[in-house]
Amino acid sequence: MTGQAGRRPAYFPWFVAPAAIAAVVLAAAMAALLQYAFRQHVPGSLQVGGFTLDNFGRMSSWVYLRVFADSLLLSACTAGFSLVLGYPLALALVRTRSAALKSAILIATIIPLFTGDIVRTYSWLIVLGKNGFVNGSLKWLGLIETPFELLYTMTGVTLALVQYSLPVMVIILSAAISHINPDYEKAAASLGAGPLAVLWKVTLPLSMPGILSGTVTIFAWTLSAFATPQLVGGGKVNMVSNLVYQLGFSNFDFPFAATLSLVSLALIFAILSLLGLATRRLEQAGFR
Amino acid sequence: MRIARRLVVLSVAALASVSVHAQGKISVSIWGGSWRDFVAEHVGKRFTQETGAQVEFVTGGTIDRLNKAKLSKGNPETDLIFTTSHVGWLYASDDLYEKLDLAKIPNAKNVFPEAMISPFHLGAWSYVYTIAYRPDLVPAGFKFASWGDLWNPKLKGTIGLPDFDPSHIIYAAALLSGGKSAKEWTAGQKKLLELKPNIKAFYNSDATSQEKIGSGETPVQVLLSSNAYHMMSQGVKIELVVPKEGAIVGIDTVGLNKGTKNAELAYKFINILFDPAVQTTLANKVRVSPMSTQAKVDPAVAKLPGMFTTASQWKEQAIVIDHKQRAELLGDWRKWFTENLIAK
Repeated sequence: MTGQAGRRPAYFPWFVAPAAIAAVVLAAAMAALLQYAFRQHVPGSLQVGGFTLDNFGRMSSWVYLRVFADSLLLSACTAGFSLVLGYPLALALVRTRSAALKSAILIATIIPLFTGDIVRTYSWLIVLGKNGFVNGSLKWLGLIETPFELLYTMTGVTLALVQYSLPVMVIILSAAISHINPDYEKAAASLGAGPLAVLWKVTLPLSMPGILSGTVTIFAWTLSAFATPQLVGGGKVNMVSNLVYQLGFSNFDFPFAATLSLVSLALIFAILSLLGLATRRLEQAGFR
Repeated sequence: MRIARRLVVLSVAALASVSVHAQGKISVSIWGGSWRDFVAEHVGKRFTQETGAQVEFVTGGTIDRLNKAKLSKGNPETDLIFTTSHVGWLYASDDLYEKLDLAKIPNAKNVFPEAMISPFHLGAWSYVYTIAYRPDLVPAGFKFASWGDLWNPKLKGTIGLPDFDPSHIIYAAALLSGGKSAKEWTAGQKKLLELKPNIKAFYNSDATSQEKIGSGETPVQVLLSSNAYHMMSQGVKIELVVPKEGAIVGIDTVGLNKGTKNAELAYKFINILFDPAVQTTLANKVRVSPMSTQAKVDPAVAKLPGMFTTASQWKEQAIVIDHKQRAELLGDWRKWFTENLIAK
């Protein structure tokens, strides 16, 4: 029985081969990145110089540290707001008995995934602009005379990033909430707990793995966001990837761009490791 | 009988394909969009008519194409490269260009001296980066006469600058601060920092530049002249100014890929590019300055700001930053600009 089950089918290598090729290509790219991070930049040339640790020394400049800090702050805000907005949507999506409402939530949250991020970001330029939808509406209502500065600000970039991330957060949370047996909530209600108490003391704790997973996923993928901060930030709000682009493709300083990429990558791995650790702790504590 | 007829048809088809192959094909590396379309329409078609050879365009951004050329060094993917004058020096310093034989480009005899960028690349057309503004969105009656007007406190939070190449504003600030050449750019650092309150945003491409001035988010920009003329043709009210100090010239160039196997055809292509008739169409339609002294530019177009059609205009209105120096200094400029104006 064991021998039969353990034998791999003949087509197995054909299934593994594409993954192996992708892994080799990725490893080669990572090796190139690693190598570039330790090389000198030669001004006015595409060639890199000898080996050096200077690029890592430059990282201590507060200018670059601030971009990292801004990136972490934007990622944290995006993850937090996506969670706050996404949780009620996911809960309604899973618990509602109305097929129409379920479809409406699904369409409203998932459809943005099918538009490209450039299209979505450009639409934010129209919405947030001085003469855009938000300022235009407020002016029309007579609530403001001078338009709010929403573009090229942290607020504008966060708004656009949250809208970009929300579908993914809803999908992750819905998966987690759908695994919670509704009988627990019914039992709590039958013992006198109100809807808020049920949510706070039963549903939320039981959906903690999904909350953690969704928050960290959004945090990590926002940390590598490029198009949204590039367009909505207008060069006034920069994340690490924008700086990498500027240094590499405008300045031709590929070594320092590689160093920033490497540090950013290490940061994301560290965060994902923390997620793994936290998830294991939660599982040990009985949350599944 | 039927078999014989088929054999005849096949033979004719085979001969036709041999003929096309013999006429050849060249591959041209160029930016996408209107630049590619223009060169394809006005140079490519005529080249095919005259030589029978086809033209294949490989499009991409300036730096993307530079990287591709570097990766395919020794066995180039293309025969000809269009790029900016200073990035052309990066091709040259990395040994990615063939030295040009001007005897094979008879039309190059009639170009302005400013077109002779290096032994490897020739200026094909020029434009300026200068002050452009929306008169309806700046304080009433505000006029620009000098680069120094960008520092006027009335323009707080209105200016858009390119983030991919800060050389224009850096050079202008240096000039205003007593610097005499690109090497003395540090003279303008303090002045540049004083510009920060007036900067609203940075743009990273022609498209975002046009979006920002079109929407009025940055009603004042240091803008590429042909982009300004394009926006004007779309109905956006824009004023373009050549300040009294002059406008910063940008020159797009053409060069041969090192190791090209189609050098003879590539030279013919370049020669057509410098044909006065092609250069005339270039100026009249795209609003870029011709490099041929023989171009017959429409007088109404010739007098537009940023159009240089005479030697005296080049002398009086154009600021040409030494291209090689610009390539060498761009790294330092970008670093300083990123650290002090963008990221700070």
